[in-house]
Order: sequence, then structure tokens, then C-alpha cells
Amino acid sequence: MFFLHNLEHTVTLHPSYFGRNMHELVTAKLVKDMEGVCMGDYFIIAIMDTFDVSEGRILPGNGLAEFTVGYRAVVWRPFKGEVVDCVVVSVNPHGFFCQAGPLRLFVSTSMMPEEIHYDANASPPQFTNNADMVIEPNTHIRVKLINMRTEVGEMWAIGTINGDFLGCLQA
Amino acid sequence: MASNMNYGGDSESEDDNFNPAPAEASDDENDNSSVVQPKSEPEQHSSPGRHHDDDDDEEEDGARPGQSAGKRPVAYQDDDGDGDEEDEEEHDEDAENDDDEEEEEEEEDEDDDDVQGHRRKRRKERRANPFLDIEATVDDEDEVEDEEKEDDEIEGFITHADEIGESGQLHDDRRHRELDRRREMEASMDAEKQAEILRERYGKRAPARGYGDSVIVPKRLLLPSVEDPSIWAVRCKEGKEREVVFNLMRRVEERMGTSNEVPIISVFERGGPESTMKGYIYVEAMRMNDVLMALDGVLNVYPRTKIILIEIKEMPELLRVTKTPTLEPGAWVRLRRPFKHAGDLAQVLDVTENGLEARVKFIPRLDYGTRDDMSSLTADGKRKRPGVPGPRPPQRLFSEVEARKKNPRALQGNPLNNSWTYNGDEFENGFQVKDIKIQQLEVKDVNPTLEEVTKFASGSEDGTENLDLKALAATLKDSNMNITYEPGDVIEVYEGEQRGVIGKATNVQGDIVTLQVTEGILKGQTIEVPNKGLRKRFKLGDHVKVIGGSRFRDEVGMVVKIVEDRVTLLTDQTNTEITVFSKDLREADDIGGQGALGQYALLDLVQLDATTVGCIVKVDRETLGVLDQNGDVKQVLPSQIANKLPKRKTAVAADRNGAEIRLDDVVREYGGQQRQGKIIHIHRSFIFLHTHTTNENAGVFVTRASQVNTIAAKGGRITNASTGPDLASMNPALKRNPAAGGGNIAPPKSFGPDRSINQTVTVKRGMYKGLLGIVKDATDSHCRVELHTKNKIITVPKEHLAFRDKITGRPIDINSRGGRGGFSGSGGRGGFGGSGGDFGGRTPMGAGGGERTPAWGSKNTARTPAWSRGGDGGSSRTPAWGADGSRTSNPYEGSRTSYGGATSYGGATSYGGATSYGGGSRTPAWSSGAKTPAPEGFGHGSKTPAYGGDSWGSKTPAYGVSAPTPGASGNDSWGYTPGASGSAYDAPTPGAHLGAPTPGAALNAPTPGAYSAPTPGALSAPTPGAWQGGWGADTAPTPAAGAPTPAASGGYYSAPTPGAYGGAAETPGASGPRYADDD
Repeated sequence: MFFLHNLEHTVTLHPSYFGRNMHELVTAKLVKDMEGVCMGDYFIIAIMDTFDVSEGRILPGNGLAEFTVGYRAVVWRPFKGEVVDCVVVSVNPHGFFCQAGPLRLFVSTSMMPEEIHYDANASPPQFTNNADMVIEPNTHIRVKLINMRTEVGEMWAIGTINGDFLGCLQA
Repeated sequence: MASNMNYGGDSESEDDNFNPAPAEASDDENDNSSVVQPKSEPEQHSSPGRHHDDDDDEEEDGARPGQSAGKRPVAYQDDDGDGDEEDEEEHDEDAENDDDEEEEEEEEDEDDDDVQGHRRKRRKERRANPFLDIEATVDDEDEVEDEEKEDDEIEGFITHADEIGESGQLHDDRRHRELDRRREMEASMDAEKQAEILRERYGKRAPARGYGDSVIVPKRLLLPSVEDPSIWAVRCKEGKEREVVFNLMRRVEERMGTSNEVPIISVFERGGPESTMKGYIYVEAMRMNDVLMALDGVLNVYPRTKIILIEIKEMPELLRVTKTPTLEPGAWVRLRRPFKHAGDLAQVLDVTENGLEARVKFIPRLDYGTRDDMSSLTADGKRKRPGVPGPRPPQRLFSEVEARKKNPRALQGNPLNNSWTYNGDEFENGFQVKDIKIQQLEVKDVNPTLEEVTKFASGSEDGTENLDLKALAATLKDSNMNITYEPGDVIEVYEGEQRGVIGKATNVQGDIVTLQVTEGILKGQTIEVPNKGLRKRFKLGDHVKVIGGSRFRDEVGMVVKIVEDRVTLLTDQTNTEITVFSKDLREADDIGGQGALGQYALLDLVQLDATTVGCIVKVDRETLGVLDQNGDVKQVLPSQIANKLPKRKTAVAADRNGAEIRLDDVVREYGGQQRQGKIIHIHRSFIFLHTHTTNENAGVFVTRASQVNTIAAKGGRITNASTGPDLASMNPALKRNPAAGGGNIAPPKSFGPDRSINQTVTVKRGMYKGLLGIVKDATDSHCRVELHTKNKIITVPKEHLAFRDKITGRPIDINSRGGRGGFSGSGGRGGFGGSGGDFGGRTPMGAGGGERTPAWGSKNTARTPAWSRGGDGGSSRTPAWGADGSRTSNPYEGSRTSYGGATSYGGATSYGGATSYGGGSRTPAWSSGAKTPAPEGFGHGSKTPAYGGDSWGSKTPAYGVSAPTPGASGNDSWGYTPGASGSAYDAPTPGAHLGAPTPGAALNAPTPGAYSAPTPGALSAPTPGAWQGGWGADTAPTPAAGAPTPAASGGYYSAPTPGAYGGAAETPGASGPRYADDD
């Protein structure tokens, strides 16, 4: 689910950047540093704006300046049970991996409807029910999140396509 | 004939119930007890005075629900059985009260004397809340049984009914009113209907009363009495119990319907390996004589010996079912005997029919006779006692070859199916096979380790591992030893009365687990259950860690599938699915888990031998999977790894295009499978990449650095920008001039027709490489070249052409040439060159050199003309100088340079001039010549910013401009010349700054010293004061100080001390702005 979230981040600036446009640089660096980052259990999708750039503080020792910046960002936090659309990345006999934006998902064979089976002879290998559903890399698919694991800098989830309206998205 | 019922224990779940002791709880008792309820009800009313005691009772009651499940004392269990029905009964009570008469009728046969006694007693005990009937039911149990057996009278009920009225009025008239209402209602119904209701309500109780037709009868009532047949135990041959029983059964069938029917009622045995009652059969008959008759002539049974009459109270014990561990083929056991094999793991192949022996296979411990002699006789000649522990030979599969070698006579067998007999022992496929009494096997708590089991598996014929996981599972399940439940585990009861209950363990004591029920109707209650019928419960998606004895130990992953107690999880590390028993799992809070063995972790780079490195792609419990640089995966032990190569963060390689690649860059293979991945290691020319798109080798693959293209460099690094801060973004000068914005302005366009036309060129690349030709026509990028060799005109990209002098064939730069052309003014300067003498001759060449300076035209802007000169040779250089000088003077040039100024190009040119000076310095003549002009004003341009500063203003801009070329200053050794440094300052381009923050200083350092030394005189002579100062600096021993463009500095700043110069990188910068100002 997407949220507008107020966050705070500490930006350090190299002394060579000190000058009139320092705040711009701070903002630019903030965007560069934080956009697209996984913050444990959510992703920062986009930074809307900064609303509070503190005074810079020189860090003793290396001369870098430290700014505490408050900013507003669009974040995405996946939840258990959330339904997401993703793109299949790879398929193997145990299931397939797909990617919902920055989130990697695995859908195990046991999380698929009965009639879907692995077809190793197809090229590329695919999951199919011999009807309308063919799951191969780059297939667009709708998946329900079962659970996720969060680590620093990475998130990782497993999902299911066992359910109404889940599965391949027909273009 | 119930002979078989005691062995085998077919119905596991009923075992417990079958045992008489706790068996008094039975569903029917509820019905029975409710019959008696009306009696207890009034009593409660009649004991108003005791209500203050209720609290105590309630406490007791309160304690009970907690114990209501699980195994607990018998008394409670009865209570429990009723507990469920309490509500129901309560509802009935009211109705019952006014139906006393019917009740009485129904219970006519109950014994009232006894009831009276009970009641009195009960009045004392009973202080229960009138709304609850918990205790009542307890007592009623006994009563029911008593009452049912005896006739009864009804007075009790009558008094009882009276009491209702009194006590009810006393303190419960609400209840009473309700009763009235109901009575009224019921009275309004017609009799038939009432009868119907009553029948419905009580009718079902009638059957419970009789003995004969009841479906289920309280077990206590089934206990034998004196009237019942007796049971005799008769000796028989041990191990033949079952056989005897079957024989008897046959005999019964045979004689059925004949005159001499077998007069016994049943016969059974309680043999079995662990039994203490083996060697007997038990015959149920009315008289002992019947037993003798029945057993007459039956083999293996000895009725003539003492026959034991079983006491009545012991009878139930005889039939108690103890669940005997059943051995299934495939199960794992441990051997107790033979002694040599004590403790060894064995697999059951077969179990004999009587359940006494099992055929097992195990790994032999043979020494093939090497110790045979010793074992037969000890040193002192005595026979060694068998079973004395000697050194035990190690477990090894039977080897026919060895056996034949050592003791051929003892060996016989069939090589076809690989079964042998050696020294009386049987061997099949290398395993020893033996029939062993089950007593001599350890069946419980076998806990086979994976290593042991693997030995068996790998011994199979085809060499494939065909582990019978199911048998293993069964064996493991039998042993609860290694199942540990910890508080917090979510547990499911899958066996026994509480089956289906799910809860969270709150306490574990011994093998009793206390559960807080979390689901279902018992939710919120705490129950105690033995850990036997428990298993851990997980949900899909749970993050779990493998504990316990599985070979997946310490793997961490997410649950994707659950089938009974087998849980499939997707490991975090390798994204593969593994299946383990739920008992081997725990909820995991941590991440990562396995991935390290000793000091080696997944994805580490390790040195396998002197020439081989590899990346760890798999970590098992004992081995590591390593993908070596050739792309092969090897299984290695940690000990086989020479060492671990630390990750070199700074490692750099060049990709196919020569672009720098570093760790974490994303690259794609060129050709091949075009795999794309992130660089995790760079080792020499090999790079190890990691990708998420495949699980193979944990997504790691190896390739050569030269076979990849950069897709995305980390952090958007495009080329080899230094790792320092991006100075472009902070340079206010660049910001201010957005036109100059992101990068360098393109070099000024040259005017007029393309200069390459009519030039003589050679082709540098392609199929025409090396051929000479003349450019006939040209566009911006291509030339049409008429080849000298063939009469052919080809189109070649300009960059594939090298321009040559028509006559000498020397490489030239046409762009500059054109520029020179304009330089007629420079001719004046040429004069300077002229002063040099030789130079004059060259001046034209010089002009050529000059062209270069505009070097921007040519590819390498960085190169100052001086450079090119270098290539030409010393002499050629000098002219270049001249040329430079000339240029600067040229107003055109000036204008241009200024242009270039924005782009660093122009700058370079002027510098070139400067450099030339340096060069000149060598040849005294030169230097003097060169310099002299400089002071005169000619030099301004080329040499010194100072000049620019001076009245030369007009030119200066050009200078300043020219100055900026950072490349020039940085790259050109010649470029040290002060001019260069100065220019660097002016230069807005950050590159210059970066390259050499104090360009002058670093670069200059060497030059001045060297030069100055040879031509001090010369210098001083020609140069103005300013110059001299500069030279002085040079001569000064500190070359570095002098280095910084003595000439320039001297000239402009008038700061004689070169040190100041060198140190102050800014000064030049300062000068730069000034130039700008001058504009």
C-alpha cells in the first residue's frame, strides 16, 4: 500500500559543496541517496519535497557537513494479503520469481491452482494450465502476498496465485 | 474367541479408553447422571444456610476447567465428562422439578435406602450454587451405578419434592415464578402432547438402564463378577502361544454343532517379546474341567502342569492393552546383540509372523579372520569368553574378495545376487543379514543420524541414494527424545482426545506440555497434554529455521507448503525448496541462517590452489560448493581451501569497451548467454557475477572481464571519474553560465571550406588501411578520398584518416594549418623564430605545430602543441613555439581562443606556447629567442598570464581562455610552463582543478629546475625583470617551489618567490577571474 510518509534523513555534504546553493545540493543528495531505497519494511518510491533542512554541522575530523533533512516521500509498504501486479522474472520447477516494482516475490508450485503445472519442454519453460494461463518470464501476473521477509536493504516475499482473480493478467 | 485382541493394538486411539482404570468416563453416564438430577436440585434449595460456603466450591470449580483436558486423575475425568452437559441439564431441571411423579415412576427400581444415605451425606458435601450442577454430577456417577443395580423406593423423591417448595420460596422466588409459568403452560397442553415431550425427553434413558440391549455400557458395569466365567492360565511352550490359540480356534470350529463342542468361552495369549505373561495361554471357561477338555491333545500346551485360576480383580489387567512397538519393514533399530554390533544401526527387512524375531540388515564388522585365532584362544591357552570386548573391527561392507583371500573355505554364496555366507553369517549386497530376536533390538529412541542412514542408502545397488524417508520418519517419530517444545511454539494436537486442538505452549515440564489454546471452542483455556501426540504447527509464509537433526539444519526459509507434519520451505539463501519435519523447525526471528561454514561464507572468493580461485556458491554442513574461475562447480572441504581472498573494494577491470568496471557494477555478457549480473568479485581477468534470475550456483556465474559490457555502473559512474565529490555540481562558475553548462562547448567551427579537401591522407583503418590518397570532397564526418594506388574514390570517416604533408609525408594537422594560414601576423613573430636562426627555417613547421595547439580540432585536446612537438623532435618543437606565439598575437586567434576559453581548448593552445618555452630553454639560443619575443609582447599570449593582465588586455582574453585547458596543464610534461598553470586557473573547467589542484606546482616542479639550470644566463638576459624573478625561483634549490611557472608567476604577480606561487594554487585562479574582469 502506498503512503505519504514524513521522514527524516541525515545528509552529509562534502566541503567542496559548501556555498550558496548548498541547500539545493543537500536536496539533490537526499534524493539521490534515498529514492528507491528499501527502508526495512517499506520502499521509498519518490521524494516529494523537503520541508526542513537543518543547519549544517561540521563533523569533526573530516570536514563534512551534516544536515538533518525532513522530507515527505511516497512510500510503498507491502502487506500480507495485499494483491500486487508483477512481472515474472524467472521460472523454475519449484515455482516462479516475479518482481513487483522493487519487491521480489516467489510463488511456489504449491501456491498455484491445481491445474497449473510446470512445462519444462516449452521454450522458455513455463507454468501453464493448458488454457488461458501461461506463466513465463515477462508474463504479467497478479499475486497475493502470503508473507514477506524484510532485511536491511532488501525485501523478499512469497505469494500465491491461488484465488479468485489472481494469476495471469490478460493484456 | 478374543484371542487376538491383545496383540497388535490395531486401534491406537482407543487404547487408552480400553484400559479399565480410567474408563469409567463414558458418554452415557451423562444421561444416567441427569436422571438423578432432580434429586440434587432440591437439595440445593434446601440448604440455604450453607451458601456462604459457596465461594470455596466455586474456587474448586474454577480450577477445574483448566484441567478439563488432558490426562488427569480419574475423579476429575468423570466430572469432566459431565461438564459439557451441564448447561443442558440445567435447562432441563426446571421442567423436571414439576415432573417429579414421572421421574419417580421411571426410577422406581432404584434403591432408596441407599439413596437416603447418600443424600444425607450429600447434604453435607453439597454446597453448590443452585445454578451450577457441577458437583452433583460427580456424585451422581456413583449413585447411578448403585441405584441402577438395586431396587429402590420412592420416598426420597417425595420429601425431596417438598423441599423444593420450601427452600425455593425462601431464597429463589424468581426461579419459582418461572417454574409456575412453565407449569401453567404445560398444563395447557393436552396430555398426549405432554406424553410426547416426556418421551422425547426421557425416553432415551431407558435403554441405559438395562444390561442387555445397551449399546454402550459404563465399563465398570462390565467388570467380571463371581458369576462370570473364570479365566485359567495354562502353561504352554514359550513362543508357541499364538499357535496354540489358533489351534484351539480351529478345534472349536471343527466341533461346532457336534456332541462334544469345546466348552470354553474364549482363549487368548499375552505373548510377545516384552511380555511377562509369555509362556501362558488364558482360557475362559465356566469350569476347570472344561479347560482340560478343550486342551486335551493340543500340542505345545501343558494343562497337566499347574493351571492357575486368575483372580477376578486381575482379569481386567489381563486384557489391558499395552501398545507394543510394531516393527515395520524398513524401520530403523539398534542392535543389542551380537555384542560386536551393540549399538549399531540396523534396518528391519522383515518381521516373523509371531512377532518375535526380525530379519535385520546392518553393516558387518569383520576382520576376515585376522583375529580369529586370537579370539579362540587367549595367551594362557584358555578359551576366551565370548563377548569379551576386544578391539571392535570397524564397520565395513562385506567384501567378497577379502573374505576369499583370508578364509576361502568359510565362504560360499552366489555372486549373481551378491549374497554370501561367510563363517555362518549371511551377507547381502555387503550388508550382514540376520534374524534377531526383537528383545535384542532397541526399537525406541533409535535416533538414527543422517550419517548412519546414508551408509545404508549409498549401499544400494545402483548407487543412487534412495532413502526411505517414510520409514525414517516413522522411526524418528517414535522417539520423542529429540523433540523439544519450547514456550511460544505453536502446537497442534494430532492424536488422542484433544486431537485438533491448537495452542501455544506456555510451559514444558518433562513430557507434559501446557498449552494455551488459541483456536476453536476451547480458546483461552489452558490444557496440559503429553508431548506424544503433538506436533508443531506453522502457517504458510512463516519464517522458520531448521533445527534438529535434518541435514538442512540451520537453513532458514519461508514455509510454502504443509502436508501433515512435513513442511516445505523456500530457503533464504539459495531460494530452493526443502522439505523437513515440522518437529525440526522453529519460528525464526533472525535472518540469514546458514551460509557460513567456518570462516567461509556464501559468495566468498577463495583460493583453491595457486592458479585457481572460486566463489562459494553452496554451503552444506560439511562441504562447500565452489564455482571456480573456469565455471566448474566443485565440492570441497573447508580444509581443501587454501585461503579466503578478501574482497578488494578497489579492484578495477576493463570491460569489453575498455570502460572501467568495479564491484557492484551491473554488466552483461557479450555473446554467449548474455547473462546479466552484478559484479561480486574481480580476480585478475575473471569476474564473478551474481544474478537473481537463476538459482543455479546461487545465481553466481563467472566470466572474463573482457567479455562483458557495462550496463550500469554503480552510482551512475559513467567513466572513471574519480571517487571524489562531483565538483561540477558545486562549481558556481558553471552554474552561472548555463550555456557552458554540463560540459565543454564544442570547439569553434572553422570557417570556410573544409580544410581537409585536397589534403594528402593515409587511411588508418579498414580495408584501405595504409593507402595514400587525396581528399576530394568532405563532409563534417566523412571524406571522399581518391586513392593514389587505385583509381578509385572511397568514402572514409575522417577519424580514419591521417593527414600527411604532401611532400614530406609527415603527419600534419590540417585544422591548425588552416588557422595558421590566417596567421600572417604570426609571420612577424616568425621573426622571433627567425631570431632562433634554425628556427626560422622551420617556422612553417612551426605553423604546423600551431595548428595543433588549437588542438581542439584534433582529438586530443589535452595535448599541448608542445607535445606534438616532442613527437617531432626537439627542433620541430621550437618552431612550434614560434607558431604559438604568433597565434596569440593574431587577433583572430585571440578571438577564437576566447571562445575556446569557455571550452578548455583554446587554453591549450596558448599553453603550448608556454611549453615551448620550456623546451626552448634547453637550447640557449632558443630559449633566449623564445623568450625575448615573449617579453616583447608577443610572448604575452603564449607565456604569461601576466601579459594578459597588462595592457594586452585585448589579447588577454584569449589567453585567459586558452589557459583553461586543464588537459594541457595536466598531461603535458611540457605544459608545466607558467603559462599553463595560469591558464588552469582561469579555466572554469573543473577538470583542470581536479586533475591538479595546484597544477603549476606539481607539474612545474621538474621542469624549471632542469631548464633553468642550463640556461640561466640566457634567460636572465632576455627576460624582463619579471622573468628574472621567475628564474631566480628556478635556480632556487627547491624545484617544487620554482616549479610553479616561474615565468608566469614572475611576470604577472611579480611575486618573486616561486614558493608562493606553487603553494597558492589560487593565485592563478585569481588571475583567471581578473582576466574575465578585463573583458
